[in-house]
Amino acid sequence: MKIISSYSIKGGVGKTALAVNLAYALCEAGYRTLLVDLDPQGAAAFYFRVDSAEKFRMRDTQSLVDGLRKNIRESDFPGLDIIPSNIAYRHFDILLDGMKRRRKQLRKVLEEFTPDYDIILMDCPPNITLLSENIFRASDAILVPIIPTVLSQRTLDQLVGFFRDEGMPGDMLRPFFSMAQKNNKMHRNIMDELPMTYPGFLKSVIPFSVDVEKMGLHRKPLLAYSASCAAAKAYRALCEEIISSPDPGHD
Amino acid sequence: MNVKVENKERIRMVLPVGLGPECLKEEWCLEILPRKSKVLTFWDTFEWGIWFGERVLFSCGNVYHLCARDNNGWLGPVQCEEEAVGRRRFWGEFETPSMREILEGLLGLRGLAPVAEGIFGLRQCELRNDMGKIVCRIEWTTVSTGEHEEDVLLRYCQVMPLLGYEFESTRVVELLTLRGARLSGDGPLDILLHHSNHLPQKYTLRPSFGLTRDTPAREAVSRVVRTVLAIATRNVPGIIEDLDTEFLHDYRICLRKIRSVLSLVKDVFPREATHRLRRLLGELARETNRLRDLDVYLLARDEYRGMLPPELRKCLDGMFDDFSAERECEMRRTASRMQKRAHLRLIQELEDFFRVDARHEHSPAADLPVGLLVYQCIYKRYKKIRKIAAGFGVETPDEMVHQLRIEGKKLRYLMEFFSELIPREDTAEAQKLLRRLQGRLGDFNDASVQQKSLLSYWNQNKHGSEVAFGLGGLISILYHRQQQARERIKHELDEFCGGSTASAFKRSFRLPVSDPGTNAS
Repeated sequence: MKIISSYSIKGGVGKTALAVNLAYALCEAGYRTLLVDLDPQGAAAFYFRVDSAEKFRMRDTQSLVDGLRKNIRESDFPGLDIIPSNIAYRHFDILLDGMKRRRKQLRKVLEEFTPDYDIILMDCPPNITLLSENIFRASDAILVPIIPTVLSQRTLDQLVGFFRDEGMPGDMLRPFFSMAQKNNKMHRNIMDELPMTYPGFLKSVIPFSVDVEKMGLHRKPLLAYSASCAAAKAYRALCEEIISSPDPGHD
Repeated sequence: MNVKVENKERIRMVLPVGLGPECLKEEWCLEILPRKSKVLTFWDTFEWGIWFGERVLFSCGNVYHLCARDNNGWLGPVQCEEEAVGRRRFWGEFETPSMREILEGLLGLRGLAPVAEGIFGLRQCELRNDMGKIVCRIEWTTVSTGEHEEDVLLRYCQVMPLLGYEFESTRVVELLTLRGARLSGDGPLDILLHHSNHLPQKYTLRPSFGLTRDTPAREAVSRVVRTVLAIATRNVPGIIEDLDTEFLHDYRICLRKIRSVLSLVKDVFPREATHRLRRLLGELARETNRLRDLDVYLLARDEYRGMLPPELRKCLDGMFDDFSAERECEMRRTASRMQKRAHLRLIQELEDFFRVDARHEHSPAADLPVGLLVYQCIYKRYKKIRKIAAGFGVETPDEMVHQLRIEGKKLRYLMEFFSELIPREDTAEAQKLLRRLQGRLGDFNDASVQQKSLLSYWNQNKHGSEVAFGLGGLISILYHRQQQARERIKHELDEFCGGSTASAFKRSFRLPVSDPGTNAS
C-alpha cells in the first residue's frame, strides 16, 4: 500500500482538485483507493456528495482507527472510498501531542487499512502543524501543487527548508505546476526555471481551467463529467507519472 | 424477517409478480438505467459433471463463464471466463489454463451440450439521497423463455450495499420484504431445468439392483439385465449425436455385461433362449467394433505421437488422418443403423424377454437363491484363474494370457453385479488385487491389439518409407510394453492367487458340501 498526500501551505492552489481528480484517476486505473479528507473545510468530501464524518472520540490510536473506519463511505465510483472530514479534526494536534512517538502515529493508524486499499490519498489542511508533520512522515510521496508565480517559489523554498531542518528526505516532495496559464509569460518563465532547482518536479502540468471550477456545480470529479478536456487529460497524465515513478508506485 | 446489512455482500431476493423498483420512489430518488437483455446458455455433460462438481458453465454471446453453484441453482462468483470463437465441446478445446484445469477434472472425456437456455432481462437501478449521492444499487432480473410476460419464470433482484450506507440497504430489504419479496427460493438454473424437465441425474455403470441372497435367480438376473439394458439404451441418443466417445464405450460395456451375466449364471433361463440372446447381444456389439477401435486410436493420438522422437512424429499424421476419415464414415453408418427398425426390434426383443411380467419355461436354476449360485460361480472362477496362474511364466503363450484376462473379467463382472450379496470387508483386498491384475492384463491386451491393428493398417495401405519409420517405431515400443506388462502380470498373479487371498475366497465363497442346489456353473 502507498500513501500519497496532496499538500500546500497556501490555500487556493488546486490541492483539493488534485486530491479528488487523482483519486478518481487512480480508481479508474484499477487501484483500490481511499481518499482521506483531513482538511476541516471538507471540500474533497463535498465534491463526492458525502456528508461530514460522524463524530467520534479520539482517545488513542485504536479509537482513531475505529472512528475513521466507521466513517468510510463508498463513493459513486466503485473502487474509490472516502473518509470525509469533520470539524473535530481540529483536535488532531492535541491528540497526537499526547501520544508517544507523536510524529509517527498517523502512519501507524493508516497502516491498519493496508489489506483493503492499494493507495491512500490524503487531502491535507493548508498549514504546518503536528498533524502536518505526521502527514509528511506517513507519506510515501507528497504532491505539492505550485501556481507558477514568484511567491509560490518562495513557499516551496520554505517547505524544502522545513524538511531539511526536520531531517525528512526532500525527495518525497513532488511539486508540480497547477493552474498554469501558457499564455502568461511569467508562468512560462517559472515553469522553465523552477524544475531545474528542484529535480523532483513532476513533468505533468495542470492548466488553469474553468472546467475544474465547475466541480462545485457538478459535485463530482472533473474526470467524471468532462473526461476529454485539457485539465482532465493533465490529471490522468499526472496519475500515470506518479504510478510509474519508483516512489510512489504500485507494488 | 429482519435483515440487517452489515457488509457489502449482495442480498438476493425473489420477487412476486408486479414488484419493481418503483416501490422505492417514496424514500429515494431512483435512477433506472436502460434494460439490457442477454441470452444465457447453460452447458453440461451427459453425466452432469459440472453440476455435480458444484459448478455452472454458461455462455453469453461468445464468452464462456465458469462459476460456483450456490444452493438451489443460483450462480455464484465467476471463477474464470473465456472468449471463444466457435463452440467448445471438450475441456481440451478451451484455451485458458484455469478453465482447462477445472474442466478437465469435471468433464474427463465427456462432451458438453446445452442443458438449458434463458433470456435474462436486467435493469440496474441507483438509489440516491437528498444530496444526489448513490446510497444503494439494485439489479432487477427476470428470467424467461420468451418475449412475453407469461414466459417469465423468475423475478429477482440483488441489493448491492455501499460501504457506509448499510442503513439504506437494510431499509431497502425491509421495504421489499413488506411487499412480498423473499430471501430464499429456487434459482434461475433450477427453474430453467425444471421448466424443460431436464433434471440432473447421477449416472453410474454400477447401479445397485436391490438383491438379497434369497432372491430367486431368474428374478435376480432379469433385474440385473433390465437395469443394465436401460443404461445401454440411455446412451444411444448420445451415440447417434456423436457427442463424445464415452456413449459408445458405455453402451458396449453394458452389452458385454449382459452377455456375461447370462453365461456366468447358467440354467436360469432355458438354454436355447440364453444362446439366442447371447448371439443377439454379440451381433449388437460387433456392429460397433470398428467404430470403437477407431475411437481408441484417435484418443491415443497424442500418446502415440509422444512415444516417438520428435522427428518421426509427423510420420503418423497420415495414419491418423485416415483413421479420422474412416471414423466419420463409420459414425454415420452406426448412427443410421441404430435408428433403423431392425436394430430397434432387437432391442425391443431383449427388453421384452426380461420384463417383470415375462413368462418363460422352467429351467433348473430359475428358482434357486441367487446367493447360492453366485457364490458357487465366483469360487469356481477363482479356482480356474489359480489353475491358469500355476503354469504362468515367461513362455506362456499370448493366447493363454488373453484367456486369463477373459476369466478375470468374468470374475470381476460376477463380483460387481452381485456386490450387494458379497461381504465387503472380507473381500475388499481381494477385489483390489483383482482390479490391479485386470489392469496389467488390460495393458498387455491393449499393446497386443494395437500392434496387430497397426500392422493391419500397414498391410492394407502400403504407404512410403516415412510411414514405415513411424509405424515401425511405434510397434517396437508397443511390443516392449507388452513384455513389460507380462512381467507385471506374474507379480500380480502371485499376489492374487497367493495364500491370504485364496483363504479369503475360500472363507467367503466356498459353500459346504451339504448345501442344496444343482451344480449351476
